[in-house]
Amino acid sequence: MNQKLNNINEMKCQFLDENATYDFLKFLKGRSKVFAPHRKGEASYIYDEVSDVKDVVLQYPRTIQPLKKYFLPPRETLLSFNIDENNFTESEINVEPRIFFGIHAYEMEGVMRLDYTFEQGQPESNYLTRREQSTFIGISYEPDEYHFSKSLGIDIDSVDGFSLYFKKTDNGYYVYEIDAAGQQLMKEFGKGKRVDIPVTKEEPEFTNKIKYHYNRLPQIFEHVYDSKVWEEVAERCVGCGTCNLLCPTCYCFDVRDEVEINATEGKRERFWDGCMLNPFAEVAGNENFREKLSSRTRHRLYRKFKYITNKSGELHCVGCGRCSKYCPADISITKIINNLIDDYADRQQKQVI
Amino acid sequence: MENVVYEKKDLYYPVMSDILSVETLTAMEKRFQIAMPENQPLNHKPGQFVEVSLFGFGEAPISICSSPTRSPNFELTVRATGRLTDKMHMLEAGSRLGIRGPFGHGFDVDVFKGKDVLFVAGGIGLAPLKSLIDYTLDKREDFNKVKIIYGTKNPAEILFPKAIEEWRQKDDVEFDMTVDRADKSWKGNVGVITTIIPPLQLDVENTVVAVCGPPVMYRFVLMALKAKRIPDDNIYISLERRMKCGVGKCGHCQINDVYVCQDGPVFHYPHVKSLEEAI
Repeated sequence: MNQKLNNINEMKCQFLDENATYDFLKFLKGRSKVFAPHRKGEASYIYDEVSDVKDVVLQYPRTIQPLKKYFLPPRETLLSFNIDENNFTESEINVEPRIFFGIHAYEMEGVMRLDYTFEQGQPESNYLTRREQSTFIGISYEPDEYHFSKSLGIDIDSVDGFSLYFKKTDNGYYVYEIDAAGQQLMKEFGKGKRVDIPVTKEEPEFTNKIKYHYNRLPQIFEHVYDSKVWEEVAERCVGCGTCNLLCPTCYCFDVRDEVEINATEGKRERFWDGCMLNPFAEVAGNENFREKLSSRTRHRLYRKFKYITNKSGELHCVGCGRCSKYCPADISITKIINNLIDDYADRQQKQVI
Repeated sequence: MENVVYEKKDLYYPVMSDILSVETLTAMEKRFQIAMPENQPLNHKPGQFVEVSLFGFGEAPISICSSPTRSPNFELTVRATGRLTDKMHMLEAGSRLGIRGPFGHGFDVDVFKGKDVLFVAGGIGLAPLKSLIDYTLDKREDFNKVKIIYGTKNPAEILFPKAIEEWRQKDDVEFDMTVDRADKSWKGNVGVITTIIPPLQLDVENTVVAVCGPPVMYRFVLMALKAKRIPDDNIYISLERRMKCGVGKCGHCQINDVYVCQDGPVFHYPHVKSLEEAI
């Protein structure tokens, strides 16, 4: 269900040059908290709350952490307790309106995959409350050697989920009004120059690609459970769990009680956890149902391309490339998938002979 | 997210409940009788579990070992095997603990009705099965023959000696058990549980089997049942995983594409066969 820019006939478009774009950020900041990409160190980027709009980076390849930290915090208090009184108090989640500016299409898709996770079955109020009152403003980007979202059906200009979309042009941005909230923002800002919807140029090429169409992937995954590829990946994987933590659609967690030094008060907290970490599938008595790295890698990939997909119909990888870029063992998710495709094709070939 | 069509739920708050009694069963296991506030029934199905919550120690999934026919209170049999369960063993009648649940998919009792029922329990696996055994015995006329077989490591680890004695006495229950290692006092069978499966007289097409035991047991029990020509379709098994949240979110109990806390812990065996990581 990708809404693409050139499919939208009724959408309005304005032009903002770069200075006006920063003015727009100031305008947003006057309305509510704004979160946007900032530089972190020499060559990295993170989402952070905007304090000075000049620090906002408009063009960047990707942030280290995905947006999920704002809706599913890395560490979150579920309740506070008092051991002596043996009771607890509920934790309040107060959310104010938040605007997320400068978001790439794959990132928005990642948030929508998380929405599915926390809405389906037993809808979880912690996530869903944090997710309310969020406005997303998208921006175009130049794919690098790690992005492969196009191979998963997510174009640079996929605008689902955004209220506004900023498309880079020579000396500024074409700003598309995607929904009523976006339209209202542009109206109140009032400094945009109304333009006819420009003919969209060809999107830049993604160099990182999956060999098969994304709609074939769930079928491929029906045949590669016992592939040799899992062992090959496991030979290099160190089981650090970075890929889990940086994945915009990974949401698994652990819950622990943290007791204060007075040994009376404490908090029940949930932490991000990861299926790549060794103790993840342990039960009492130290039985571990996914002891081998190969089975943990397989589980991670199956969760992205098969298990949840069976239920939701959507792939739960969005092609951001974070797991590959930040893997300390230089393991590439696109290489894994392409190797699985080769292995599958090889075996099909042999069956024919 | 503006069109809210779901009801958001506070999923993680326990209900503070009272321990009515604590009974020492073995050196490792105790049985707790628990009452929800105002004696509200737990409304569970045999085979379901709850999350027990002790502040400072966290939560642990524990199978309910009593039958809903014996509500409003319910029972948990707990082996001391970690921080939370060790602490739980120090609690006495009158203490309070937190309960979330019941969770999961229990035994579908309608499938067992009108059939011969065979229970196969290994070790602490007798505790979850006891919820269904007691249900069956309380509604005895709904079921045909009832057979219970139970295996444990040694005589000192026998979980419910009083209940077992009652089952032995009953004319309408067949009970047999074995221990892996005997002591001087033991006069019964010696050997693993699969050794007492071959002598069973079973109307195989008309027998429904409920199996629960330690992870290592399933493969061998299922082989022995197959050798008896029991159709896979007649077998239900209860699996153990670390169900951390109980509501299908945290990911810890996942076996391939199923969450044990949602689709299990009780599974129809043909379903389990399609799950590579299950047993």
